[in-house]
Amino acid sequence: MLEHLGEELALRLSIGGIEIAFNLVVLAVAVAVAGGLVLLSLWIRRGLSLDPDAPLSRRAALVAAAIDFFREQLLGGVSPELGDRLLPLVATLFLYVLACNWVGVLPIPYIVSPTQDLNVALGLALFVYGSTHYYGVRTKGIRRHVKGYFDPVPFLMPLNLLGDFGRTLSHGFRLFGNILGGSLLTAVTPVVVLRIAELIPVVGEALGWVARVAVVLGLNLAFGLFFGAIQALVFALLAAAYIQVTAD
Amino acid sequence: MELEAVVQAAKYLAAGICMGIGAIGAALGEGMIGARALDAMARQPEMANTVLRTMVIADAIAETTGIYSLVVAIVLLFVV
Repeated sequence: MLEHLGEELALRLSIGGIEIAFNLVVLAVAVAVAGGLVLLSLWIRRGLSLDPDAPLSRRAALVAAAIDFFREQLLGGVSPELGDRLLPLVATLFLYVLACNWVGVLPIPYIVSPTQDLNVALGLALFVYGSTHYYGVRTKGIRRHVKGYFDPVPFLMPLNLLGDFGRTLSHGFRLFGNILGGSLLTAVTPVVVLRIAELIPVVGEALGWVARVAVVLGLNLAFGLFFGAIQALVFALLAAAYIQVTAD
Repeated sequence: MELEAVVQAAKYLAAGICMGIGAIGAALGEGMIGARALDAMARQPEMANTVLRTMVIADAIAETTGIYSLVVAIVLLFVV
């Protein structure tokens, strides 16, 4: 019943002797989620009016509430002037990771959360790592940014670089492991429940299917929606914290 | 053939041990965070929302080592 777990539709390319595998489903879902978010934002934007005296539309109220939420929850620990510049980046990261996590809940075969693929999670983490340097250079200038790596004493520079490496790795692995673990648990537990229920004579099988439905719904609610939202929040929050530490 | 079976058995055993021992640290950490957060909430109920938010994030970070062992266990089961 669980044979499909290890299965993937991969496109294998060999470029210069290095074999690269693309998981096409993950690629397609990741792009589709991004496209969906773009369409959603275009639709919301159409409901906003440039006239400040116009009555508040529902979409404008939604945008205002969302920005308030991002300011307070994601950028609460960041200085206001840096926070304003970080808001678009961090809000986009949060919404994208959230949508990626939640798309795995949809009961469509082969649709999985793109974030349960290490390539996507680590790619997002690497992107955050790149933007720490961007914001560091932008706020401090390239001299002070590079000098930051030789603090407090020059010979600790390799240790600073190692810290960056570990930070980025754990940033990506945290998202990947949580989402993959959740989805594996969601896939495995219903089968286990069914097997246990089948031990009961006569009513076992019927009872098993009822229990299975309840277990699938509960696990999707807990691991798909709740942990998906928490992990998206944590990912965006840590991104903001990392950028702030580099750019302070 | 014999060796293959031993390797297979060792794989399952290793994944189980890895997850079981690896979860101890994360569980202890999350328990401490939860206990202290409850303490703080009981002392200052008006701060409950802020404390809850910080607690959830601290939980997610304390969980990281547990997640590492989960990744290792998954690699042992499905990749090795």
